[in-house]
Amino acid sequence: MSLVAEAFVSQIAGKVPFIHVGNQVVSELGPIVQFVKAKGHSLSDRLDEVQKAEMKAYMELVNNMLLTAELYLQWCDEATVGEITHARYGSPYPWPLNHILAYQKQWEVKRKMKAIGWGKKTLDQVLEDVDQCCQALSQRLGTQPYFFNKQPTELDALVFGHLYTILTTQLTNDELSEKVKNYSNLLAFCRRIEQHYFEDHGRGRLS
Amino acid sequence: MQLGGPPRCPRSGPSPQGPRSSPRHVKFANSPQSQPRRPRSPGSAEPSGVRGSTRPRRCDSPRRVWPAALVRCGGRFWISRRPPSPKARCPAPRRPAASPDAKSPASAGTSPGHQPGATRGAVAGDGSARGRAEMHGEVLPGQRAGKMAAPMELFCWSGGWGLPSVDLDSLAVLTYARFTGAPLKVHKITNPWRSPSGTLPALQTSHGEVISVPHKIITHLRKEKYNADYDLSARQGADTLAFMSLLEEKLLPVLIHTFWIDTKNYVEVTRKWYAEAMPFPLNFFLPGRMQRQYMERLQLLCGAHRPEDEEELEKELYREARECLTLLSQRLGSQKFFFGDAPASLDAFVFSYLVLLLQVKLPSGKLQVHLRGLHNLCAYCSHIQSLYFPWDGAEVPPPRQTPAGPETEEEPYRRRNQILSVLAGLAAMVGYALLSGIVSIQRATPARAPGTQALGMAEEDEEE
Repeated sequence: MSLVAEAFVSQIAGKVPFIHVGNQVVSELGPIVQFVKAKGHSLSDRLDEVQKAEMKAYMELVNNMLLTAELYLQWCDEATVGEITHARYGSPYPWPLNHILAYQKQWEVKRKMKAIGWGKKTLDQVLEDVDQCCQALSQRLGTQPYFFNKQPTELDALVFGHLYTILTTQLTNDELSEKVKNYSNLLAFCRRIEQHYFEDHGRGRLS
Repeated sequence: MQLGGPPRCPRSGPSPQGPRSSPRHVKFANSPQSQPRRPRSPGSAEPSGVRGSTRPRRCDSPRRVWPAALVRCGGRFWISRRPPSPKARCPAPRRPAASPDAKSPASAGTSPGHQPGATRGAVAGDGSARGRAEMHGEVLPGQRAGKMAAPMELFCWSGGWGLPSVDLDSLAVLTYARFTGAPLKVHKITNPWRSPSGTLPALQTSHGEVISVPHKIITHLRKEKYNADYDLSARQGADTLAFMSLLEEKLLPVLIHTFWIDTKNYVEVTRKWYAEAMPFPLNFFLPGRMQRQYMERLQLLCGAHRPEDEEELEKELYREARECLTLLSQRLGSQKFFFGDAPASLDAFVFSYLVLLLQVKLPSGKLQVHLRGLHNLCAYCSHIQSLYFPWDGAEVPPPRQTPAGPETEEEPYRRRNQILSVLAGLAAMVGYALLSGIVSIQRATPARAPGTQALGMAEEDEEE
């Protein structure tokens, strides 16, 4: 999706991702999962209680660490901000609005980082946290094809989404994707899902 | 309920504290000279004493209007690891000695003069010294045989509401320290400005470095080989990370909301405690400031998701929290701790969240009802509490046993203060009256002469 289209869509829905069903718009992963569950499709029904607890916990881990690290990298790392984020975020708007909104968003994100204690972190520390998170995921995955053995669950979807984005997005420095690439089972996991579920889009971008 | 003791000058100098502090400290070794378990070596009090004395505080008796019991808040107690060695028996005979001494105005035992605010930590602190003695001979699950380390100092919020500490982070760090038996000098204070970093909890390492983020404190303790997670498998370590994230995302907002945002709770419980505990000028503005900070934090934590109206948000928060509690309960099952029989860092965090929700008597405790329904979590909390914070339960009896003691000791000083203040007031009034001429003292003789003459005249009148 081109940059402009993405930004445009995010303005309409407020948040991506979103699905449009009839006259309902449901955005963000959590509500979408609930919505689909209400329609009778759920991936985690066969899990027992303990596994469900673990799944939720790992999803929170991903949200907590990976998402925050991505936000940090996008908005608090000066190099990335200057080269990529400002341009991308402000692209649908005319000058000077693009600058103003971008700075405003940056200020907001920095405030949030401070509130959760990431304000003082350096890039290296953030990368270390990502590494820890990936290590945890890798250990949980082990040699299984999916996190809960044979069938994918919401956790697999979430992890795939984040890791795929990290691996395929070009940033000023590649350290983030390098961290992920250190874990071969995670790489294999992403590749497997991509080939299995997205193969109709031609050759995957994970070569 | 505060244990007594006269107002004491918390710190007069490094060395006197050493030897005098020994009866106060039911201390089980950890001398940096790495003598094995010489429990009462005065020298081992030295480093802490020295460290403490770098921040001399003046004795604040003129300012002390509260009973002296609160000095305990600055009290220092050694939490050390007990090796299951015969030497561990050594301090046991001291225990009876320690208890009465603990009540005595042996001020020296108190720490590098923390400005004692009226605090309920007083009882907690004192009791804990005794409790430490009780924990003494046995190595509790999770603790390891001693490794000598230079003493580290932990500053945290003092206890209240029946808990060892009222603050979530302080509680977590304290619990972890108890699990591993790390030799920490715990300063339970109520004045965050007294801590080396300005916030609580704060750990001052043996190298003088100050760490104030709870996770980093625990990481540091791990580095110092007080690691409660050392025999967790890789998968369990990953689970720890995951569940901690779960706690932070789901339970923390609700905890903040329950204690700081919910009006009834805030006014009747939280603000009341903090305002009463903090020393004089701070209690007016600091609780309010803390509330604003928490509110902002909550908004930033949750505002990102759904900036809808408050009620919706609240309901959403509580729903997610209930779900989180249920998940925790399911994960715990019927085990004693989350990863088997020995507590890990995850247990420290879960315990601190749960015990705050369970134990504090909140006027509007929406989660409490749900939590009480999860019996394994309740049993888990009380198990940890009885094992690692035994004096919390014993908090009530000791004050009852010793009401006479501290009070009688308190008495002469309080009486003396009262008398002195009345005398001072009287002297001031009389002095002012004399000086400004309202009252004047004249010579007695001229006054008497007319009096006697008058009497004589009266007699004459009568005779006539």
